[in-house]
Amino acid sequence: MKRALVIVLLAIVAMPLLAAMAAMPRFGSAEQPAYTHVAKRYLERGVEEAGAENVVTGVILNYRGFDTNGEVTVIFTACAAVIAVLAGSRNRQDQREAASSVPESLVVRYVVRLLAPFIALFALYVVLFGEVSPGGGFQGGTVFGALLIVMTVAVSRNQAERLLPLRIRPWLQIAGPLSFLAVGTAGVVLTGWYLGFPQGATAATRLMLMVLEFGIGVGGATVIASIFWRLGDEA
Amino acid sequence: MSIVGTVRYAAAAVLMCVGAFFFFVGTLGLIRFPDFYSRTHGATKCDTVGAGSILLGLCVLRGLEADVLKILAIAAMVLLTSPTAGHALARAAYRTGLRPWTHRIGGGESDDA
Amino acid sequence: MTLEMSRLFDAGLMVLLVLCALAVVRTKDLLAASIVFSAYSLVMCLVWDHRGAPDVAMTEAAVGAGVTTVLFLSAISKTVRKEK
Repeated sequence: MKRALVIVLLAIVAMPLLAAMAAMPRFGSAEQPAYTHVAKRYLERGVEEAGAENVVTGVILNYRGFDTNGEVTVIFTACAAVIAVLAGSRNRQDQREAASSVPESLVVRYVVRLLAPFIALFALYVVLFGEVSPGGGFQGGTVFGALLIVMTVAVSRNQAERLLPLRIRPWLQIAGPLSFLAVGTAGVVLTGWYLGFPQGATAATRLMLMVLEFGIGVGGATVIASIFWRLGDEA
Repeated sequence: MSIVGTVRYAAAAVLMCVGAFFFFVGTLGLIRFPDFYSRTHGATKCDTVGAGSILLGLCVLRGLEADVLKILAIAAMVLLTSPTAGHALARAAYRTGLRPWTHRIGGGESDDA
Repeated sequence: MTLEMSRLFDAGLMVLLVLCALAVVRTKDLLAASIVFSAYSLVMCLVWDHRGAPDVAMTEAAVGAGVTTVLFLSAISKTVRKEK
């Protein structure tokens, strides 16, 4: 009796849902509101509304800032967990000695040293110009993290690690979520909404986007390099 | 198309064909050469000469524009990094004790890694 | 580039992509599989860029072809090279 009632109730709930499903445009068809209205709005008015010339950046950081906030938090939490798991052995000094038994190649070291400033500059460019040209915090941060890895391999780990002092490294690792927190709070002050951006391409919007990109970039670079160093620590 | 344009177009085409040729030959070497060292040698030629002349061809095609500087920067990057990568590969192989192939063609077995 | 050529280019990239993916799965040598996976990422990066998504292409090149490979390699150097 009770089961029959549940089934009837479920059927009653299911009917409007299925009817709504039937009225929806076919999955993946070009008639979907996401394509006809949302994407159109983004493309037509994204530049003036979101304050970023690169519409992708505008969508990711401004229109869908909440999604990105959650995403960044999840990713950096996961990376922190990976770093914590890898932090098994602590006697780094001995292993570092053992690892450097093969002398480094002079050629590789020279070329890496020669190219390092340019790679760093490119990473910075990708981060800070993410709102104008393709790229952004995550891409630029990854490039910088890769540079740190190359420096570790070809030059010396100490020299690479000195760029991210151990004292402030935990803060650098969570720079992404922190920058979202800062910009979100700024949004509360400016517009009354968490992560609310002022309308249009004002200086405040640009600054907020830049802080977000920079935070994600610093966090990404630090996390990638930290995971690599921790992998090297393990016996 | 003016004479200058035609010449420029032809020069760009020649440079790019040279690049494609070197890529083809380098890839052939990568597949056909007997041991690690000679294969690395072939692969590195691909990148330096092949990519270098294709990029030069693009420069010629583009003419005097700001983009050319970017292409030249890419070319400089490739010219620096590719030989370095080849060197690092060969060095690592030598350090780990891989012996170069010294047999004569047609006799003896090669010791690939 | 005409539309047909663009399509042809796409098709070629897709074939390469599938071949790379199959090679990654079928290789027993994990070191070789990582390198082929890096090649897969590079082809994927070309696909993204050709389909008009340079942002994703950059991410794919930096993360997929660069950092992931390095992390795989250092993980392999800590463990075993052959799949059992």
